[in-house]
Amino acid sequence: MASVESTQKITSAMKMVSAAKLRRAQNTILKMRPYAGELSAILSHLLSSVADGEAHPLEEQRAPEKVVMVVVTSNKGLCGGFNNNVIKRTEQLLSTVYSSQMAQRQIRFIGIGKKAVEYLNRKKYPVMATYESILDHCTFHEAGEIAEMLMQMFTSKEIDKVELVYNKFKNAATQVLMNEAYLPLHFEQTQDAGSKMMNDFIFEPSREQLYRQLLPSITKLKFYQCLLESIAAEHGARMTAMHKATENASELTKQLNLTYNKLRQAAITNELIEMVSGAESLKNA
Amino acid sequence: MKVEIITPEQQLALEEVSLVQLPGADGLFEILNDHAPLISALGKGKAKVVVAGETRNYNISGGVVEVLKNHVKVMTEVCSE
Repeated sequence: MASVESTQKITSAMKMVSAAKLRRAQNTILKMRPYAGELSAILSHLLSSVADGEAHPLEEQRAPEKVVMVVVTSNKGLCGGFNNNVIKRTEQLLSTVYSSQMAQRQIRFIGIGKKAVEYLNRKKYPVMATYESILDHCTFHEAGEIAEMLMQMFTSKEIDKVELVYNKFKNAATQVLMNEAYLPLHFEQTQDAGSKMMNDFIFEPSREQLYRQLLPSITKLKFYQCLLESIAAEHGARMTAMHKATENASELTKQLNLTYNKLRQAAITNELIEMVSGAESLKNA
Repeated sequence: MKVEIITPEQQLALEEVSLVQLPGADGLFEILNDHAPLISALGKGKAKVVVAGETRNYNISGGVVEVLKNHVKVMTEVCSE
């Protein structure tokens, strides 16, 4: 009983810690939003004016012969199905969309988070790079470096496609499992009303050059965003898992208490019967 | 005019700015009050902002600037004082 209670204390403490970390992770996402918003606003306006130009090297669509899969999990466990879901989805992709690439061993992996690394090593998949510490304190700089490496490999045609598998943060209780093509870039064409207003701007240098210059920034940003989402989702998942564990523990304590009291009562009753029957037999003698 | 320096990790807003000097792709340029709407690429270098007669310098890593109705938004990846 004492052990259940102490476990309960631990899980509720972990829940509290996760809640605090979740808040911090959410803050980081919120801080990034203005930048992401402004950048994509400018980009979408630029996009409407350079749509006819030839595709940027980062947008080039090629037959996906050589693929890199980026698997984003957490460093620590105890967060419900968080990591398992990612791994399951990866397996599923490997056996469906990328089965031919897998057979030709043209697929490589980047593991982010200890759990992903362990999984890739266990399966003996060809691992290109692994990152673990980045999740503890995710900075734009570090995320940018990984993104830059991927972009460089993509433009030099070393790889044809980059696929990301990660958990997207929806709210504290739900994570949405995502897999999306990171490279080549793909933008939705949006012809919004704002583009008219944008025509009054002086562009320095030309729109097209600006667009080309901005693309790498947005690519880096996208990667950073994915990592932040995954971190927030991890803490959310852990919070839910710990909450459930705490609830379970209190349920268990209740039951154990009941059993304990029942047993004690039975023992007392037994003793009483013995005493009474002993007294009775003495009286009769 | 109002100046905002926006990076993925932090935002910085300055009010009552009289002058901004930014490292454009082809060299330094300045933005004063009532500047025409502008979108320009920025290179790596120093950004100088004059707030109420006081000059502040920031190192930026390049990015893009948008000027509209006395509101200057500097989007850059890294910014340090």
